[in-house]
Amino acid sequence: MNAIVALCHFCELHGPRTLFCTEVLHAPLPQGAESGDSPSQGEQAEEEEGGIQMSSRIRSHSPAEGASVEASSPGPKKSDMCEGCRSLAVGHPGYISHDKETSIKYVSHQHPNHPQLFSIVRQACVRSLSCEVCPGREGPIFFGDEQHGFVFSHTFFIKDSLARGFQRWYSIIAIMMDRIYLINSWPFLLGKIRGIIDELQGKALKVFEAEQFGCPQRAQRMNTAFTPFLHQRNGNAARSLTSLTSDDNLWACLHTSFAWLLKACGSRLTEKLLEGAPTEDTLVQMEKLADLEEESESWDNSEAEEKAPVFSEGSEGRERTKHLTDLSSRSDGGSWQPRKLAVFKSLRHMRQVLGAPSFRMLAWHVLMGNQVIWKSRDVDLVQSAFEILRTMLPVGCVCVIPYSNQYEEAYRCNFLGLSPQVQIPAHVLSSEFAVIVEVHMAPHPSVYPVGPEDDQSLSKYEFVVTSGSPVSADRVGPTILNKIEAALTNQNLSVDVVDQCLICLKEEWMNKVKVLFKFTKVDSRPKEDTQKLLSILGASEEDNVKLLKFWMTGLSKTYKSHLMSTVRSPTATECRN
Amino acid sequence: MPSRGQNEDRDSGIARSASLSSLLITPFPSPSSSASSSSSYQRRWLRSQTTSLENGLIPRRSTDETFSLADETCSSNPAIVRRKKIAISVIFSLCEKEEAQRNFQDFFFSHFPLFESHMNRLKSAIEKAMITCRKIAESSRRVQLYVSRLMEALGEFRGTICNLYSVPRIAEPIWLTMMSSTLEKNQLCQRFLKEFTLLIEQINKNQFFAALLTAVLTYHLAWVPTVMPVDHPPIKAFSEKRTSQSVNMLAKTHPYNPLWAQLGDLYGALGSPVRLTRTVVVGKQKDLVQRILYVLTYFLRCSELQENQLTWSGTHGEGDQVMHGSKITTALEKGEVEESEYVVVTVRNEPALVPPILLPPAGERRNLGPTGWAGAQGGMDIPDLGPNPDKEEQSSGTCSTAFQEAALSTSSRHQGAFCGDDGCEKEGPQGGSLRLPGSEALRAGLKTSQQTAGVEFKGETPQKLLDRSTAWPCPDRHFREKAPLEKVTFKIGSSVSPESDLESRTKKMEEQLNPCRQCPDLAGSPSTQSRVYPDMAQDQQGLGCSFEPCFRKNACCLRKQSSEQEEGEPDRRSAEDRGIRTSLRADVAVQLNRPTATFTSGDSGKQAVHNIGGSCVKGAEGPWLEPIPSRCEQQDSGLLVTADVPCGDASRTEEYRIEGDIPRNESADSALGDSDDEACAAAALSMGHHGDRPEESLEVELPLPRSQNISHQNVRNFGRSLLAGYCPTYMPDLVLHGTSNDEKLKQWLMADLVHTVHHPVLDEPIAEAICIVADTDKWSVQVATSQRKMMDSVKLGQDALVSSQVSSLLQSILQLYKLHLPADFCVMHLEDRLQELYLKSKMLSEYLRGHTRVHVKELGVVLGIESNDLPLLTAIATTHSPYVAQILL
Repeated sequence: MNAIVALCHFCELHGPRTLFCTEVLHAPLPQGAESGDSPSQGEQAEEEEGGIQMSSRIRSHSPAEGASVEASSPGPKKSDMCEGCRSLAVGHPGYISHDKETSIKYVSHQHPNHPQLFSIVRQACVRSLSCEVCPGREGPIFFGDEQHGFVFSHTFFIKDSLARGFQRWYSIIAIMMDRIYLINSWPFLLGKIRGIIDELQGKALKVFEAEQFGCPQRAQRMNTAFTPFLHQRNGNAARSLTSLTSDDNLWACLHTSFAWLLKACGSRLTEKLLEGAPTEDTLVQMEKLADLEEESESWDNSEAEEKAPVFSEGSEGRERTKHLTDLSSRSDGGSWQPRKLAVFKSLRHMRQVLGAPSFRMLAWHVLMGNQVIWKSRDVDLVQSAFEILRTMLPVGCVCVIPYSNQYEEAYRCNFLGLSPQVQIPAHVLSSEFAVIVEVHMAPHPSVYPVGPEDDQSLSKYEFVVTSGSPVSADRVGPTILNKIEAALTNQNLSVDVVDQCLICLKEEWMNKVKVLFKFTKVDSRPKEDTQKLLSILGASEEDNVKLLKFWMTGLSKTYKSHLMSTVRSPTATECRN
Repeated sequence: MPSRGQNEDRDSGIARSASLSSLLITPFPSPSSSASSSSSYQRRWLRSQTTSLENGLIPRRSTDETFSLADETCSSNPAIVRRKKIAISVIFSLCEKEEAQRNFQDFFFSHFPLFESHMNRLKSAIEKAMITCRKIAESSRRVQLYVSRLMEALGEFRGTICNLYSVPRIAEPIWLTMMSSTLEKNQLCQRFLKEFTLLIEQINKNQFFAALLTAVLTYHLAWVPTVMPVDHPPIKAFSEKRTSQSVNMLAKTHPYNPLWAQLGDLYGALGSPVRLTRTVVVGKQKDLVQRILYVLTYFLRCSELQENQLTWSGTHGEGDQVMHGSKITTALEKGEVEESEYVVVTVRNEPALVPPILLPPAGERRNLGPTGWAGAQGGMDIPDLGPNPDKEEQSSGTCSTAFQEAALSTSSRHQGAFCGDDGCEKEGPQGGSLRLPGSEALRAGLKTSQQTAGVEFKGETPQKLLDRSTAWPCPDRHFREKAPLEKVTFKIGSSVSPESDLESRTKKMEEQLNPCRQCPDLAGSPSTQSRVYPDMAQDQQGLGCSFEPCFRKNACCLRKQSSEQEEGEPDRRSAEDRGIRTSLRADVAVQLNRPTATFTSGDSGKQAVHNIGGSCVKGAEGPWLEPIPSRCEQQDSGLLVTADVPCGDASRTEEYRIEGDIPRNESADSALGDSDDEACAAAALSMGHHGDRPEESLEVELPLPRSQNISHQNVRNFGRSLLAGYCPTYMPDLVLHGTSNDEKLKQWLMADLVHTVHHPVLDEPIAEAICIVADTDKWSVQVATSQRKMMDSVKLGQDALVSSQVSSLLQSILQLYKLHLPADFCVMHLEDRLQELYLKSKMLSEYLRGHTRVHVKELGVVLGIESNDLPLLTAIATTHSPYVAQILL
């Protein structure tokens, strides 16, 4: 809680004085803010952040602290302090409590060290013990303004057999800048502070009574109490609260109590705030990462030689963890570091290089889940091509073998990089479910349209895109392909916008996929209904249906198992009439 | 575009000073994370920073709290303006019923911003009255007019407050209810979807419903963070969105006011510039209006509030009633007249003064033997050994206490002069709070079913104590128990100090331990004695401490058990105890869940002791045995209380002797209870930690006691109070309500909106106040704003647009529902579609960042965004990308 709690006293010699004051120090930055908030990470962050930053803050005060309290603190000079207006002994460094869980520290001194806070507390103290007083001089009151903070003050008397009127006047104040919060907390603060006061008063009463009745000397003085001014002149007038309550640990106890009060008040109300479900891409990535961790050992071995046909998801997996905050495929295009090599930089770039018709054919096959084979000597080029192309698909639909020395079957991967000499089986060459991109060295620089972001490094290549059954030009194609093409064509849209656009399109279609999955796989509804559903989804055309079916394979296990489990519960469809 | 085109935005006056300041991008280091960049997180973080006191003050806007009597026509020279000091005060006289009083008080304090806003309104009305009246020469007429104006304003104030308090609320706002109760989620989804689809189908004349929903989604933006995809997988069921961990953590590390946050969410004050929005549904058909209101509570989202009560003393059981910081225990008690019994309700407060846990100075700590540290470490590791994961914490608390305590006491003995501490001397109830129920139950059990449980207990435990008493090797400093009193006195009321409990426990103890009385207490070493006796003197009131050793025996026996690994015997006893409780539950309507719960915890804790007991006893001779009693007491008698802090030297003892004479009905008696179990665990923690950070040890470190948290749903919050039902009249504050006609609405709306901007309830400048008015009689949806003068007398504001995104969303939900997809799936799909809206807004904001204007048509072709979607998507975009608003200016 952003508050300062202080105990103030109206000293008979010096007027209103701040006796003891507890501040709250928060870590400069919220922990767990940096993405993954798994408990272990969070704790680590807490250790590091809290530790380092807090200590630096304390260090900034420490010179003053270490030397002596009043050396540089803005507090009153030692000479104007009597026993009654001092809490911690000269040279006492103050108290500190660490709340490990939250990295919050509670620090107590007689006065705040920060000059601005000193004057705020000082002013609040004066007001609480002079003008802003509850009728009857004991009780709670609220005052303050935006400049000096808002104050909840509770004044009270402490019995003192030597004081004028046998009592001394104190107040406990809570200062906050958040007026509303302070007033919202009023009932709570009142209860707790009242409790502290009761106990202080109780202790003092015991001492008072003991002094009156326990000791004859005192009793004798009491008899002359009709002239109480005498006592003041005795020089005894200023008694510390410690002696009034006969509690040597009073300040330590008040520190703990104030710190506790601040902690309890700050956590009195908490919110439950929901956040959105992760996208399918995020889920799938998580799942893949989890799988990866399990087999990380074997993976380490296979990393060296790429020939092992492990999903290259792996090789990116690690990179991806860093980019996870950067949602889904956005990072794919963006995070690819061009190493001054011949690489594709974006879909738009690829489209320019390949030419619109070839690109359309390629993209079509990519979206439909057909096998995409790149044959080239240049491994980096192939890899960059896959990095770019995969952004069109949900993460779960992507299976890459970046570079292999032998043909891999379509069920093993939908992106396959091959060296030029590898023989592709004839049935694949003639299949309508595969597309082959052959990269040759161009005999002379080819004449494809040169875009603004084109670099010359790719001009040494020639790209030949072939498929067993070329797509006829008049087919409308999947809706998403047309939208992607529109976005790529429009040069007014930056690469970032296109990336966002791809995310939108993919999520939109994944949402359709979810419904279709629920409908067909989970509920097993009849065909007529499915047709109806498809038209509701705006996906009744053949190509769209194909696309949905392929994309269904990319749904996360989490999602599927959730749907499967909820449908088993009987309540799902019953109550509907 | 029919309305809200960009041209209009440009001259909409959005660039007023207030709105500009609300546009400023955060001047504070903001946690950079895509997950946490949500506006709800940002708002909260900013709030905690702007109200921080840590590094001095952050200058804030100042509110003019004085009355301004300057006439507009008057000279602006402040010297000429006469300033009078005027104050208004409003007194609420409360109803006599205590509960009603408390209800109103709770309402008042939690809804203070609204009260304040109406006070401000009253103030401006009075100002206005004074200014007008000044012009009237004749004094009697002037006064008359002034008074009548004043009374009018006051009447308005009263009426509004009264309405605000009493207006009918929507009993179960869908979103909040879904969030809190998972049990009936399916039914809830079904009910919601039924109503929702009905509205889509039936009242979409004129696209009425789509327009209303578009407007609601555009202005009540709190739904946006709830669909923002997160980058971590859901923990629980898929459909249940998870609570935002980053916000949770923020609330812990940088507490802010959740009530304030909730209010902002409800008013949709998430975007930039900040707008406050309310929605009114007008219509003669009450039923229809109520339906609409109900459905809208799914889209008007806010956080759910929980109330937590932190306690540092003891454990509250599950069934405990906790009210306003007091714990209420109910027990059957024996009356003063023999044979009579009555139920006693005890309200006990945790002591407000938290005793400090004083650590030995660093130098001395090093002197602790390796055993001591090992012990402390062992104590902390205990949870792993505990058999019952749910109770682990409790058991670990107690066990680690035991060890920590031992460690401390070891050191205190070694060092001799160890800081004395009141805390441990004065027995607080906190130790007892854990055990009390047990003892009460036992006692009641003794009374109600004497021949069974009572007899058994009497017969058995003390005997065992006797049997094993010889095994007790060392004195104990912990026990301070009240002497048995002849009569039982109970206080009923909030100010009860723990005597009653102590007394009851004592009495029971006396019964139990009578047989042990004869065992003299001889074992104590002088130093220990001196510490123990004052305590006794304080509490005992003339009763000898003869029963003290019995405790020790009790403790000892347990200790022995644990060292011998005798499992059977305590288990049996536990079974007995349960039996007693069960019978008691049958007999009296007292809440006894708690004792049972307590017991279980004791049980598991004990097992932990078993596991480590042997080694610890071996480790150190004398002091090491002390920990055990704390376990023992919890298990079987609920009598003993532990003192963890090494206490007093001889000089202090004197004082306590004196204090012993003081009458006992003193709250301070209980004031400084000893530090309890958790405290010591915390001590152990921080001690363990201390070495790591030598640079921070400038201040004397005092560990905080470990806290226990009891949470329950908070009902006094805006989410429950500002979503209202069909009200008799138009209301100014409510986020959502319905009313039968728009007369008063027309009359007041503009003034209300202007007032909202001038006296924002959110305590931060706002740019615009919006009211969405949906009229089911005319099938119109209008958006009224504080920034535009009313266009004509008929219209309240601009007609709301229908976003094609929203209307396609509605259609597809309706169709899916008609295809008999289950309701909860439809709700999931709805959330997916809302997420699509969010993603589209991301795309739009990206687009706006890069380029100057492009024709709207182009947006439509490329991005699939139509012109009627633009206001909605821009509004969403401003919640995650504040620059969007700046670009649009």
